[in-house]
Amino acid sequence: MKKLFLLVCIMGLSIWAHAQVQLSAQVDKTALALDDELTLTVKVSGISGNVIMPQLPSLPAFNVYSREMEQNIINGNTTLLFRYIMVPRFVGKATIGEIKFSHDGKTYTTAPISIDIYRNANAATATAAQPATAATTANPAGIPATTQPPAEESFAHLPPLEAALAHRAFQKAGEPFFLIAAVSDKAPYVNQPFTLGVRFYYSQNFYEAPYQKPTVSNLFMEDEGTLEGTQQIGNTLYHYQEQRYQLTAAATGKATIGPATVRYRVGSAPRDIFDRFFGGGTVGPERTAQSAPITLYARPLPQQGKPTSFYGAIGSGYTLKAQAEPSQVPAQEAVNLTVTVIGNNDLKATQDLALPTLEGFKIYPAAPSAGKAASGKNGAQTYYKIFKAVLVPAASGIYTIPPIPWSYFDPKTTSYRTLQTAPINITVTPAEKTESSFNFSGETAAGNGFQTLASDIRYLKMTLAPEENLLERISRFSIVNMICAALLFLGVLIVCTGERSSARKKAFPTAKNTLKKASSCQTISEAVSTYLQQKLDINTGSLPLKEIVSRLNQKGVTPATTEAFSLLWQHLEAERFAPGSNSSQSTARLCAQALDVLKLIEKETHR
Amino acid sequence: MKRLYLLVIAFLSFLPAFSQSDLQQAEDLYRQGKFSAALSAYETILKNYPNDPFVYYNIGNCYFKMGSKGLAAANYYRAFKLAPRDGDIRHNLTLALESGGERFVPAGMPLVLHKAFFYLSDTELKGCVFALFWVASLLIFWCLIRKKWNHLATLACLLLLISGGWLYARVRLAQDVLAVVAAPVAEIRSGPGTNFPASASAAQGHLVTILDEKDSWYEVVVNSQGIKGWIEKDTVEKV
Repeated sequence: MKKLFLLVCIMGLSIWAHAQVQLSAQVDKTALALDDELTLTVKVSGISGNVIMPQLPSLPAFNVYSREMEQNIINGNTTLLFRYIMVPRFVGKATIGEIKFSHDGKTYTTAPISIDIYRNANAATATAAQPATAATTANPAGIPATTQPPAEESFAHLPPLEAALAHRAFQKAGEPFFLIAAVSDKAPYVNQPFTLGVRFYYSQNFYEAPYQKPTVSNLFMEDEGTLEGTQQIGNTLYHYQEQRYQLTAAATGKATIGPATVRYRVGSAPRDIFDRFFGGGTVGPERTAQSAPITLYARPLPQQGKPTSFYGAIGSGYTLKAQAEPSQVPAQEAVNLTVTVIGNNDLKATQDLALPTLEGFKIYPAAPSAGKAASGKNGAQTYYKIFKAVLVPAASGIYTIPPIPWSYFDPKTTSYRTLQTAPINITVTPAEKTESSFNFSGETAAGNGFQTLASDIRYLKMTLAPEENLLERISRFSIVNMICAALLFLGVLIVCTGERSSARKKAFPTAKNTLKKASSCQTISEAVSTYLQQKLDINTGSLPLKEIVSRLNQKGVTPATTEAFSLLWQHLEAERFAPGSNSSQSTARLCAQALDVLKLIEKETHR
Repeated sequence: MKRLYLLVIAFLSFLPAFSQSDLQQAEDLYRQGKFSAALSAYETILKNYPNDPFVYYNIGNCYFKMGSKGLAAANYYRAFKLAPRDGDIRHNLTLALESGGERFVPAGMPLVLHKAFFYLSDTELKGCVFALFWVASLLIFWCLIRKKWNHLATLACLLLLISGGWLYARVRLAQDVLAVVAAPVAEIRSGPGTNFPASASAAQGHLVTILDEKDSWYEVVVNSQGIKGWIEKDTVEKV
C-alpha cells in the first residue's frame, strides 16, 4: 500500500513538474565595454504545444543584432533557448527589464538584469563580469508593471535624449497614438551640434501617416536618420518610429522648435480591390498627433582661454592623429600629411586646420573632407574630419613635423581642451633626379660599381676657422711693415753711401802705400788709376788722356798739376807699352813723381 | 691683482666654449631642417667672428637649403676669399654658381691654374710680399756689407717681383666689384629706373660686375652673358 502511495505521489509530482513552465534569462556578463557584445539567453522549459517568442522589454541601451532559437525535446518536454546578441549603445548603467513569456493564458516574467556599460574594456574588466541570471519568476497572475509615469531622474542612466523621450513617452502612456519630441541639450552652445528626436508611438495599427517635420528658428537642422523600436509603457507594448535631426544653434539667444505632426488613420489598409469594394479594410477617420514645441536658449562660447587652435569644434571624446606617408622620401618628392579628427559631434561646420610652417618644406594644403564614420558595433555614431596636405621637401635631411594642436570646447567641463598630434619624423634622401643645372657631375655606373646619383652641397663646418697663419699675421701689420721696409732701404742707402765716402778718404793713403812698395811701372800705373777712380770717380781705363785731364780740371785741379799728371801718365804709358827699357832708378823716380802728383791733386781737390 | 688675472683668464677661456655651444646649437637646428633658425644663429656668431670663413660657409649652406642660391653663392664667395684652399668652400661655391648657370672657373682656364692663382688669400699674398721684401732687403744688405750671397739676394728679388706682380693682379681683380643676383629674378634695364625698358632678366645665382651706381640702381655687366645694364640694388648681394 505504501508502495502504491509512493508511486502515485511520484507520478503526481512528475505530472506537476511536467506541467510547470520555467522561464529564466541569463547574460554572459554584467559589465562590458562599448565595443563589446552581450549574449542574453532566455530559457523556457516545461512547455508543450505551440509556443510564441518571449517578449523582450524595451532595450534603449542596446541594439539587438542577432536572434537565435534552439529547441530541445526530451521525453516530450520542450526546452527552448532564445539567444539575443546585443551591443551596448551608451555608457552607463543599463537594465534589461522583465522578459515576458505567455503560455496557456499565463504570463511568466523574469527579474530585471542590471548591466554596467563602460567606455573601454579596461574599466569593464576591472568590474567582476559575472554572468547574471534572472531567477525564474513566474507571474501567472499577469500583474502589469506600474502605470505611474516615473520621474525623469529615473532615466538618468540613459543618454539625455533617450531619457527625455522616455520620460515624455511615459507621460503619454495610455494613449494609443502619440507623438513626442525631445532634444539632447536644452541649452546648447552656439555651433554645438545636438540632436532632436521626434518619436511616434503607436500601440494599434494605423494607415497612412504622413509626417510633417517641425519648423525651427535660429537653428540649422539636418536629417540624421530614422529608427524603429518597441517600448513597454505600463502594461502596453508600444511600437515607435523615430526621426532624428541634428541641430546647430546659429546665434546666441532663444531658439525654437515648432511642433511636428503625424496625420494617421486607425485601421488597416485595404489589401486589394475586393477589400475596397467589400470593406475588407477598416480605416478610421484621420487624426493628428502633434508634438509639443520646444524652446531653447543658445549660449555663447566663453572667450576666456580660447586657444588659437580652436576651430569651432564642441563636444568631448575627440581624438586627433596625424600620419605622413611615406616617411622616407627623396628630396623634391611629395609626402602626404593626413590629420584626422574623430569625435561624437559633426565636424562639418568647423574651420579648417591651420598647418604650422614647416622649415624645408613647401606645403600644398588640400580641401578637407568631413562626414559620418561607419557606426561601430556599439551603434554610437562617430564623425570625422580629415585635413590633407602635400609636403615637398626641398633638400635631404631628417625632418620632424612638430605636434599639431587642435582644440575643442568641452561643454561638460565648460573649458577648452587642446589635442596634439605626435611628432612625425621624415627622412628625406637626396633627390633621385636632380635639377639639370645640378647634375654636372652625374655619371653612369662605372665598371667598378660606383655611381654618382646626385650632387649636393657639402655639410657644415662644425668649428671656427683655424688661427691666422704667419703670412696673415705679417700682413696684418702693414704699416709697421712699410715703415720697417723704408728704414731698411734707408740703411742700405746709408751703407752704400758710407762705403763710397770711406773709399774716397782712404784713396790717397792706399795709393801712397802702394807707391812706396811699387817695384814696377805697372804697379805705379794701377795705384794712380785706383786713386783717380776712388777719389774722383775717373775711370782711367776707358778714357783717353785728354779726357782725363779735362775731368781733373773740372774737379778743381790746377793746369800745372794736370800738366805734371800728363807727363807722368805719358811716362807710365810708355813704360807699360815698351817694357824692358825701364830700370830700378827710373821706377823709383816715377814713384816719387807719381807721389808728388797725387799729393798735389789731393791738396787741390780738398780745397 | 691675482684675482683680476684669474678672472680675465677664466673669461677668455669661457669665450671659445661659448661660441662652440652656439655652433652646436646652430648645427642642431640645421640638422633638424630648421634652416631659417640656423641662419639666425650663424649670423649671431658672425657678429663675434666677422672674418671667419667657416661661418660664412655655414651661412651659405643655410641659404642654399632655403632655396636662396644667390645669397648662398655670395656667402660662399666671402668664405672663399678668406680661405681659398678649402675644398668644401670651393665645391659649394661651384655648385651654387652652376645652379645659376654661372661658372666659377672661367671657360678656357685650366683648373690647376685657377687653383694656383687663388692658392693664397689676399691677406696671405700681402703677407708673402712683405716677407719676401724683408728677406730680399736683408740679403741685399748682407750682400753690400759682406759682398756675399749675391745669388740668394738676386733670387729673393726675383721672387719679390713675381709675388708683387701676383698681388698686383689680384688687387686689380679685386677692384671689380662682384655681386650675385639674390632675388629669384632680377630685371636688367637700359637705365637706372623702372621707366626704362627691361632688356634682360637674370635668375638668382648669376654673377654681375658692378660698374657704377645711381640712387637705388647699379650699373652692371652680367659676367656670363656680357650684357650691360642697370639693376636694382635690392636684387643683388655684393660679394
